[in-house]
Amino acid sequence: MGKKKQKVVLPPDLPPEISEDEIEISDEDLEFVKENRDYAGFVSRLDTQSITKHVTRVADVKEGALEAIYEKRLQKKSVVKENEESGVKLDPVDALPVKTLDGKLYYRALPKKVNGEDENKAGEDEKDDGADKGIVKLTKPERRAKLKKIKKEAKKQGKELTETKEAEQAPQAAVLAEVKKDLTAEEAFESKKHKLAELGIALLADPESNIKSLKEMLQIARDDNPSIAKLGFLSLLAVFKDIIPGYRIRLPTEKELEMKVSKDVKKMRFHESTLLSTYKGYLQKLIASEKQFAFHQVVVRCICNLLDSVPHFNCRESLLEVVVRNLASHDDVVRKLCYTTIKSLFTNEGKHGGEATVEAVRLIAYHVKANNCQLHPDFVEVLMSLSFDEDLRRAEVQDRDNKAKHKKNKIKNVKEPSKLQENDRKKSKKELMAKTREEVSADYKSVSLAPDVMEKIKMQSETISAVFETYFRILKHTMISTAASASEAHPLLAPCLNGLGKFSHLVDLDYIGDLMNYLKKLAGGGSSQDNSSQKCSENLTVSERLRCCIVAFKVMRNNLDALNVDLQDFFVQLYNLVLEYRPGRDQGEVLVEALKIMLCDDRQHDMQKAAAFVKRLATFSLSIGSAESMAALVTLKNLLQKNVKCRNLLENDAGGGSVSGSIAIYQPYATDPNLSGALASVLWELNLLSKHYHPAISTMASGISNMNTAQNQIYHTLSPQQAFMEFSLERESFNPKGDIRKSNNKRKRANESSILAGIDSTSDTSNSINEDEVSKKLSKHFTVLHNIKENERLRGELDRVTLSLNLYEEYKKQKKAGRTKIKKNKI
Amino acid sequence: MRPLDEAETTAVFEKLFKFTGNNLKNIVENPSHEGPDPNPGRYCFRLHKNRVYYVSESLVKRATNIARANLVSLGMCIGKFTHSGKFHLTIQALNLVAANARHKVWIKPTSEMSFLYGNHVLKGGLGRITDSIAPGDGVVVFSMSDVALGFGVAAKSTQDCRKLDPNGIVVLHQADIGEYLRMEDEL
Repeated sequence: MGKKKQKVVLPPDLPPEISEDEIEISDEDLEFVKENRDYAGFVSRLDTQSITKHVTRVADVKEGALEAIYEKRLQKKSVVKENEESGVKLDPVDALPVKTLDGKLYYRALPKKVNGEDENKAGEDEKDDGADKGIVKLTKPERRAKLKKIKKEAKKQGKELTETKEAEQAPQAAVLAEVKKDLTAEEAFESKKHKLAELGIALLADPESNIKSLKEMLQIARDDNPSIAKLGFLSLLAVFKDIIPGYRIRLPTEKELEMKVSKDVKKMRFHESTLLSTYKGYLQKLIASEKQFAFHQVVVRCICNLLDSVPHFNCRESLLEVVVRNLASHDDVVRKLCYTTIKSLFTNEGKHGGEATVEAVRLIAYHVKANNCQLHPDFVEVLMSLSFDEDLRRAEVQDRDNKAKHKKNKIKNVKEPSKLQENDRKKSKKELMAKTREEVSADYKSVSLAPDVMEKIKMQSETISAVFETYFRILKHTMISTAASASEAHPLLAPCLNGLGKFSHLVDLDYIGDLMNYLKKLAGGGSSQDNSSQKCSENLTVSERLRCCIVAFKVMRNNLDALNVDLQDFFVQLYNLVLEYRPGRDQGEVLVEALKIMLCDDRQHDMQKAAAFVKRLATFSLSIGSAESMAALVTLKNLLQKNVKCRNLLENDAGGGSVSGSIAIYQPYATDPNLSGALASVLWELNLLSKHYHPAISTMASGISNMNTAQNQIYHTLSPQQAFMEFSLERESFNPKGDIRKSNNKRKRANESSILAGIDSTSDTSNSINEDEVSKKLSKHFTVLHNIKENERLRGELDRVTLSLNLYEEYKKQKKAGRTKIKKNKI
Repeated sequence: MRPLDEAETTAVFEKLFKFTGNNLKNIVENPSHEGPDPNPGRYCFRLHKNRVYYVSESLVKRATNIARANLVSLGMCIGKFTHSGKFHLTIQALNLVAANARHKVWIKPTSEMSFLYGNHVLKGGLGRITDSIAPGDGVVVFSMSDVALGFGVAAKSTQDCRKLDPNGIVVLHQADIGEYLRMEDEL
């Protein structure tokens, strides 16, 4: 490092010894002090620490820095002298021109500012590199400093007024003390900010010589004032980001310390050790202050930035631990920061050679285990950004082959010459060659920075196992919790299933069976009579169950080379879930994705099953909004195009005729698509759909009805997902954008004419409905009804009237008879 | 012709259960629309000359009018009892079983002929297979165009099938539709 010079620097001049008794305080003096607080503030401005430091350790500092320090000292001395002079002469008359309170401030502050600016400029002029950065670095703390300054100014005005009143009564010492306190808060703030900026620039300009400034900056960052501390953290962050080398620092061992080394090595060692120690101190302080609420966001931001930029450096584990822990925080900003950091960590594996990925994934797994899977979905979603290199296996195999070949060759070489004595020399030569080759390759490996293939493979397998451990734990937890309790939220289930779908090709064959079983149970399927699976299906939402089906299909598709398994149970589940879907409550995207994966991409030709889905989708699209309806219709069309036999659903042949298979009647409530007998039904829903208010849906429906007889088959390139997105309520568009391709269908159908007639008649009657006729017929019908009612009423009345008349007649008769009887009796 | 007694019924249902599982009730309670009655009758099982027949009730009533010696067959024959009392399903039960099968296997076109000659199904000829098959389960064999070709017993579970080499046996043959030609006399 620096030469140990025997220079003795004189301590700064002390002010002249004046005993306190001789100093008389006049009222004018007090006023003067009041007005010119800056004069008295020199006491606080004296940075005793740095002065003592300079006195004691000045010998170690290098020449250039020494000069700078001398410069500073001189400037300080001049400022101090000024203040001293003004302080001692408490005579307002002899003092330099006194301006108003506001003006005074500027008068006093200017030289200091000038000094500060000079130093800055000097720093910039002297060294070029890092100068630009220095300016940039200055703005951040400086900006904040300016903001704070403005605020503090306003406060200060108020403070001063109150302080002055109190100061009047107290003696000078007390006044000084109070003034000191008052000013410490404000002035010290300013000074510290400036100091931070200076140190920062100096460090960036020449990190190796100014490494000690790091310690000072750290000291400032340890300040009690929270805003100063925050500024300190941020400026240290900026400095570290630029200073930290591209390698992990390893402190020299005892042996190495004892060895005699050159100046440069010593310098380097000192630089590294200081850097490391300050870094550790900084980290400790950060982690300690993370607990406090005031610092939380700033600290997390610092840590995230550090992890992002220098993931290869020491102490990475503690950084990772903090970041992963904060992935689960309630604060959205903090969580987003951590999320992006870890994502970038996973994607930029080159920076840290994969080790950080393993550690991060392990920590995530541990947290999931510790919190019993009750965490924010971001926690697991971050795992989706992992990527695994599958080519490593191939490289490894090649390596092994090469090595085997090598070994074989060596063995051959060794065996052959062993028989002949003359070839001993040759043998030894060959061995030497082989040995040197090995040594060369070993050296090359140690020097080259690319990680070994074997190591990479090992790290990858560790990562994969940790990732899958997390996923399976979440699955298991969902299973257990649904079986046990009633309604517990499963926030991690959705990203877990998505991740499983993405990484399904990495699952070992042995575990696929277990995985499928779990998924089946979660989807609520299986031929189980036991109650546990029923409970499972009741507690998971429709979207979650749909996701299970989707994942099962993805897993199966990715493992197609092993065995093509027909996932009947999941089809049954989908069949029932289509009915249970409710547009507001459940997510349409999931349903549409399920439809696409399970029905459109499938290459099966099971007629009964396809027909069942066709019928159910048609029924479903009648009762659902236009977006889902459109998606369902697209799927329907797809199925009909692929399965020719299902087209007899489009014909008016109720009972299915010969194609219906074994089940003669359609069972609409059947749970199993294979037993629904849909081949025996007719798609009358299409007729209703062709009168839908949405023009796209009505055209689609009528297009499907005419599919059998259309000369040109219109192939929409739309997938159900695209259809759903286009027609969802957010878009509110009535014009589909899918491009329609027409292709000539040259298939001849023998019974086309008869079917044509049938379909034409139905379409004719449906299209050519005359409204007038309808109204006439309706009116006729209603008049007839009305007449019948009237008729009945009148008849009833008539009956009553005749009855009453008859009664009257009877009564009359009886009366007559009675009268004649009486007459007879009389006579 | 007589209805089946207890032991015989259990034997028949057990065999059918291997193939259909819970769909057995579909077979037993199938409403039949044959005959002039407006109400759908049921299907029932009858034993005649050691053969079990699956007949609708209306047909059974009318068949009682034919003497035992003269009655050759009625309804659908699904299997027969051997001398030792064991029940075997014959190929004529295929329609019934295939409609209600739980475990299905689809074989590739190249190995269809091999199966129709009476050979077992090898892994190399397997096109698709339903999930969760246990060894010993009844399996119905289909072609890739969904035509039922026959049935058999699963030799291995679906999981094990994944790891099998291409010449391993997946389904042990029991009956196939080629028997209509090969064993015409024995049916």
